[in-house]
Amino acid sequence: MHIHCKVTENRGEGGRNRTLFLDRRFEVQPGQFVMAWVPGESEKPFSLSYENGITAKDLGWYSAKLLDLKPGDSIWLRGPYGTSFPVREGAVLLGGGVGIAALLILAKRTEDPVILLGGRTAEEIIFLEEFEKTGKVRVATEDGSLGAKGLITDLLPQEGRYYCVCGPDKMMAALKPLLPPEKSFFSLERYMKCAVGLCGQCTCNGYRVCTDGPVFDGITAQEMTDIGHRKRKKSGGWEYS
Amino acid sequence: MLLDIDPPIVNASGILSFLDIFQLLDRKGATIGGYVTKSISPGERLGNENPVVVECGAEEYPTLNSLALPSQTPEEWLEELKQTHLKRSKLIVSVNGVSPDGVSRIIKMVEPYADGFELNMSCPNLVPGEESVMAIVGRHPEAASRVVRSARRATGKPVIAKLSPDTRYVEIGQACLAAGADYLGCGNTMPGMFIHSRGPVLAGQSGGVSGPALKPVNLKMVYDIYAELRCPIVAYGGIMTWEDAVEYFLAGARVVGLGTFFAHRSTSDIVRDTAAIWKGIQDYLNGEPLESVVGAAHRKSSMEMTRSH
Repeated sequence: MHIHCKVTENRGEGGRNRTLFLDRRFEVQPGQFVMAWVPGESEKPFSLSYENGITAKDLGWYSAKLLDLKPGDSIWLRGPYGTSFPVREGAVLLGGGVGIAALLILAKRTEDPVILLGGRTAEEIIFLEEFEKTGKVRVATEDGSLGAKGLITDLLPQEGRYYCVCGPDKMMAALKPLLPPEKSFFSLERYMKCAVGLCGQCTCNGYRVCTDGPVFDGITAQEMTDIGHRKRKKSGGWEYS
Repeated sequence: MLLDIDPPIVNASGILSFLDIFQLLDRKGATIGGYVTKSISPGERLGNENPVVVECGAEEYPTLNSLALPSQTPEEWLEELKQTHLKRSKLIVSVNGVSPDGVSRIIKMVEPYADGFELNMSCPNLVPGEESVMAIVGRHPEAASRVVRSARRATGKPVIAKLSPDTRYVEIGQACLAAGADYLGCGNTMPGMFIHSRGPVLAGQSGGVSGPALKPVNLKMVYDIYAELRCPIVAYGGIMTWEDAVEYFLAGARVVGLGTFFAHRSTSDIVRDTAAIWKGIQDYLNGEPLESVVGAAHRKSSMEMTRSH
């Protein structure tokens, strides 16, 4: 059932990322997602970056429409759906791109987290100050405009009891072999339609990301050869990266 | 020719949909005897813009959808079919029955990789500006029979003609059987609508009602068709428990299909809960063969009628 929300604030986060704050809070486990519907436009999955907020990057026509909403505008949400990250003391959180937003609730609920953030440039590293309030943060950017020059993988090895990863598929694929499978968790992103396990659109090696995921344990992620390799496009056919 | 679907449980077309999902469930040991693909269309289709599924009931069951048959091309399907190997279950390829030529071309192309075919002549959904396959084919005995004949000429493998509950289904079913269909699929979703925020929610305006709300409708369809035509039936519509499945068997079904059942169920939930459905059915059968209950509701009602006279 869609839940009606009103936008209370539309805040720029740097780069092309914006957060929509809403007039209601969701009971959310870290890593879960909601489907956000703007009538007459479309409906797509977004991570909750706050219990009352979603963060998105204006990558497509729909995110652009969504991020154009003004305070007072209506939006309809359903969810939260899917699996979540475990909350464990001393976990290492690894985020890239707009996937960084999905880790913010987790960081706030984790004791002494270590947060590793990666992006192409400084403006892709969002929520830096908020993460710094929760734990130790290290940053890598490809152009060296913030933190170390390089990739998030260059920030490893990093001692940790658990590793929670959310970022673009390519980053996941690069991190998968570097982290201990039995102690790591990966949050995947796929194009979704029903978001409740029916239509199969979001499959990754036969697992439905909406219902089996979006957070998968490292052992399952190890067998998912589609990560960083291919996704199903709107018709259902494969799109290779 | 009939399909050896053991156990007699399949997924409904458009649910789970893709070969990699079937392969994973097959490998994990789900109690599903046959998997039915999404309907393959003659060319690529994107279907409707989201939202395409609405959970409009208090129970959070998705009860309305309008995906409107998105499909990768037959060539893309063929590539995937070549790489798919199911260890335990049969694979039924669903074909968008919109045109006899398209049906025959698709069936000939993928025939070596399918155990049987389902002809979708009953999807009530449409992309704005087009007509649904139900409206084009599924409501017209002659058009439906042309599509079945075309499939029959293209393959010797079992063919299911999937009908809509929102038609004169006995008449259409009779035409499909006469044209060579081995089974009737009873049935697709029922046209329905959901209005929210002062407009229809689904991009296709109306959609297909599924889940528990559909069960009594399609149960009657199965009952009516069995009463008139006594043919093999694959039943779909709101089967959430083993008791639902047994009702459909009693009404005349030989195989039952699950759809909305899969909502909110993870892969491991599906493995556990399909085993429970099959166990419930077997306990009910208590050692008797399934055939002993297929259509049994008809025998009971005629006996009762005899007694009351």
